Amino acid sequence: MDLFSTGLMSGIGFLAVVLVMLRFESIGGWTLGEVAFLAGMIEMSFGLMDMVFGGFDPDWFSGVVQSGRFDQFLLRPVNLATQLLGANFLLRRLGRVLEGIVFFGLSLWLTPVSWSVAKLLYLPVVVLSQVVAMGSLFMVGSGLIFWTVQRIEAVNILTYGGVELMSYPVHIYPRWLQRFFTFGVPFVFLNYYPALYFLDKPDVLGFPVFAPFWAPLAAAGMLLMAIWFWRFALRHYQSTGS
Amino acid sequence: MAMIQVANLVKTFTVNQRGGGLRALFAPRRRTVTAVKDISFALQEGEMVGYLGPNGAGKSTTIKMLTGLLVPSSGEVLVDGMIPWKNRIRYVQKIGVVFGQRSSLWWDLPVMDSFDLLQAMYSIPRERYQRNLKMFREILELDDFLQLPVRSISLGQRMRAELCAALLHEPQLLFLDEPTIGLDVVAKERIRTFIRYVHEERHATIVLTTHDLTDIERLCERVMILDHGKILYDGALKQLLERFEGQRRLVVTLADPLAAPRLPGLAEPRREGAQVFYSFDPKTHSAAQILAMLNEEQTILDVEVRRAGLEDTIRRIYEQQLLFPVDDRTGKAN
Repeated sequence: MDLFSTGLMSGIGFLAVVLVMLRFESIGGWTLGEVAFLAGMIEMSFGLMDMVFGGFDPDWFSGVVQSGRFDQFLLRPVNLATQLLGANFLLRRLGRVLEGIVFFGLSLWLTPVSWSVAKLLYLPVVVLSQVVAMGSLFMVGSGLIFWTVQRIEAVNILTYGGVELMSYPVHIYPRWLQRFFTFGVPFVFLNYYPALYFLDKPDVLGFPVFAPFWAPLAAAGMLLMAIWFWRFALRHYQSTGS
Repeated sequence: MAMIQVANLVKTFTVNQRGGGLRALFAPRRRTVTAVKDISFALQEGEMVGYLGPNGAGKSTTIKMLTGLLVPSSGEVLVDGMIPWKNRIRYVQKIGVVFGQRSSLWWDLPVMDSFDLLQAMYSIPRERYQRNLKMFREILELDDFLQLPVRSISLGQRMRAELCAALLHEPQLLFLDEPTIGLDVVAKERIRTFIRYVHEERHATIVLTTHDLTDIERLCERVMILDHGKILYDGALKQLLERFEGQRRLVVTLADPLAAPRLPGLAEPRREGAQVFYSFDPKTHSAAQILAMLNEEQTILDVEVRRAGLEDTIRRIYEQQLLFPVDDRTGKAN
């Protein structure tokens, strides 16, 4: 039931993309199918990420810190990441993954991609990179909890907002937003550029031709930063009174 | 070498003042609170110490630093040769912790499943695990609720399960933070018996914080009293009582209570039915002296000497501020 309802919930997200597309026919020169490819890929990754990195979800983690349960994690002789990831693993998140897969399949039906061996090999790499990159944001968000205790909405803007934003071709956004998601949080290289490669679309932003292949690099960089930040933040854990 | 060595330990918290919205995120109004102010002490292997203090004295903060949950603002902690907050995983293998107000068990799982999970987490060899479990099941009488989920057992049962959980991996160092909180007299006594067993039979070093002074009286020879983040007293419980106990009361039942005499050097006795109360200062009089004087004038049917409880003594120490912080260089009370 949970599985079904989360699937339905995010299915409505897909409907939103379709409605927008029906209204404009194309967005920034991208057809419905192409935008669906973009949105489907990130949706699928987000679902996977939410399942794998659920323990670092700031919304959940703030509750763990507030209730003092985090002390118990610290008292056990097991790696913190292992404990956290295991503690909030919910199978119902599979709903969102399934929905992403359906979404993605639909886009392939709308826009036939001319697949090559290289593309088929690169697709899982891109999905994995997206999972890691968004998971890193979750880690940063949960790290901030050590100071704020309460969850910070600003982080949700980055994670949930980022997914929404990445569902459309990035060149339709204002320059400052593009710059932020290029140099601040390099989401551009994780979804938009790989999509250019898969769909054989021209780059209108003027990055080197190999920019589509920066996804794993961007993800690895984000993960390293996130791990460093999380460890730094942990030193500032204040626990809660009892 | 000392099991626990603490030197000039300080912990300061920054507390965000309440204030809404975005401002709180970018320019929060902050206040610093020093919970632990420069404390030093040492604990030898096999010692059991009672760590006392009113709410907010810094007890829990100290325990959290000793268990590696919090990183001190300054100062040094060395426990069994390790710095608690570094090498967290290696350190927590060696200690056992019970927070009376928190649960280390899995809420929705049967008690037994929690133990099994802990066995895996601590990689306790099967044989040792079985041996300990068997022993604790017996002493703590766990069998009645071993298969019940944690959420449905009583507080007293839960605390017994918590103690078992904290000891399955045979730690030589035990931190017990309010292990008897909220329990009834019988349950408390059972927990105390178990703590004494662990201390005497297993020679574990134990740090015990509690609000129940009976716990301390029954279990600890050494006490540390903390107030406002400073150690006020660190030494033998007996000496503390001798120093601050103040007046004792001799309660006698006399054949003719109405004719209870006033004794030289003592205040007017108080009468309650057949019982007569003589207050005396143990430094100037002894109970035997008073009895001898009384015996000359009256027939004594029954005798009882009442000392002020630890409870009264500690309350007087806080209220009248009888103690000043311990000098950290000498480690002796002023």
